[in-house]
Amino acid sequence: MKIKVNGTVQEIEAGLSVADLLARHHVEQPEMVSVQLNGEFVQRGRYAATVLKENDEVDFLYFMGGGA
Amino acid sequence: MGFTTKAIHAPFLKKDPHGSLHMPIYESVSFEFETAEEIEEAFLGKRPRHVYTRTSNPTVEHLEQKIKHISGALAVVATSSGMAAIADMFLSIARQGDNVVTTRYIFGNTYSLLEKTLGPWGLEVRYADLSRPETIEPLVDDRTRAIFFETITNPQLEVADIRALSTVARKHGLLLIADTTVTPLYFFKSKDYDVDIEVLSSTKLISGGATTVGGIILDNGTYDWRHNPKLEQEAKRYGPFTLVTKLRREVFRNTGGCLAPHSAFLQSIGLETLALRADRSCENTIAVARYLARDSRVKRVNYPGLESSPHHDVAKGIFGQRCGALLTFDLASKKDCFAFLNKLKLVRRATNINDNKTLALHPSSTIFSEYPDELKRQMGIPDTLIRLSVGIEDLEDLQADIEQALGA
Repeated sequence: MKIKVNGTVQEIEAGLSVADLLARHHVEQPEMVSVQLNGEFVQRGRYAATVLKENDEVDFLYFMGGGA
Repeated sequence: MGFTTKAIHAPFLKKDPHGSLHMPIYESVSFEFETAEEIEEAFLGKRPRHVYTRTSNPTVEHLEQKIKHISGALAVVATSSGMAAIADMFLSIARQGDNVVTTRYIFGNTYSLLEKTLGPWGLEVRYADLSRPETIEPLVDDRTRAIFFETITNPQLEVADIRALSTVARKHGLLLIADTTVTPLYFFKSKDYDVDIEVLSSTKLISGGATTVGGIILDNGTYDWRHNPKLEQEAKRYGPFTLVTKLRREVFRNTGGCLAPHSAFLQSIGLETLALRADRSCENTIAVARYLARDSRVKRVNYPGLESSPHHDVAKGIFGQRCGALLTFDLASKKDCFAFLNKLKLVRRATNINDNKTLALHPSSTIFSEYPDELKRQMGIPDTLIRLSVGIEDLEDLQADIEQALGA
């Protein structure tokens, strides 16, 4: 099935969780990233239990950066 | 693991290529990227990279991570000064027409920030007697965003019952913000008292020896940002990271009150000896307070660690034996205060607090000099008051200097 990750369309298998997606993307410094699913915040403790669906949009955002 | 162990052994986020035991000082304004795509991702917050030292820097980040490691906070932002921390925090959480509840017993420059700088922009300040929490609720309405207080007020040395304040804050969905400059990190754990945000001047006990000016905003991650209409939409996206995102991607970034890398380095080293210095200065302070209290030339001594303080029980309950390193005492007149100050030979006539050196100041003619007499009276600042920030000198040397300065 297709989802968007940080604005890019990706093909994933059914049943993948947010935790699985973070691991697959080798997200750097996971303790400094916040995850939004369809524009809403996902609690860190819910990553494993949050299963992704067709057309979901996932964004990983680091709260740093954005200079001159 | 204890405070000092954590302060000394806080891990790096990334392994140093040369095995350095201290985080190097990254004195670089900007940082290079391998590809245009990578720099785009960094600017969008999709990659954890430093792009520009005004917004983030590896040496500053290490100080932030160290404080986070010690305190258990959700997020920490280091700023150029304590006042920058307070200003950025209020700019993030309030908008025109909102109000905050505080006390007139706050640092003079904080009072000025709220009344003279932010007031004309539409932030209303409402004053309660925070030693009587029942005076807070009548001031709260649907535009109230926060209760702001100093854990030990400077220089009135009032100590609020933090649990009582947090009860009111929780009942009304208000942010509880504590300026913990006088009692940082080592003195107590703010999260245990339901303090949502700490702001403090790292210039003081953190820097150690007054080497550098800096500030800290510490978010314990305990506030539900959906209670704040200004940040309601952000709360949906960022949850507990709402404030730090607002700071890093807007307010802190745009106001530019960043901590210099060299300052962060020195303050990171300072953290390693904070506990030692705090213990020594608090031991000295209670001893000097008791010494002054026995002297007939001194009209009144105020220190939360003294049994005579009206805030003694509350202070002991929160801070134990470490009731800060600030004390005040009254002489007969302003003239006597100036005579005392002018005779000091070891203790320095200087502003600042929590230096290794003991410092003496006449608050009425200095920090509070811009305010009229009636307002100074309301703020608890008589012209007979001397403030001592007690350092880590050998006690007998301090007492000898104070004794000779009190003499004829």
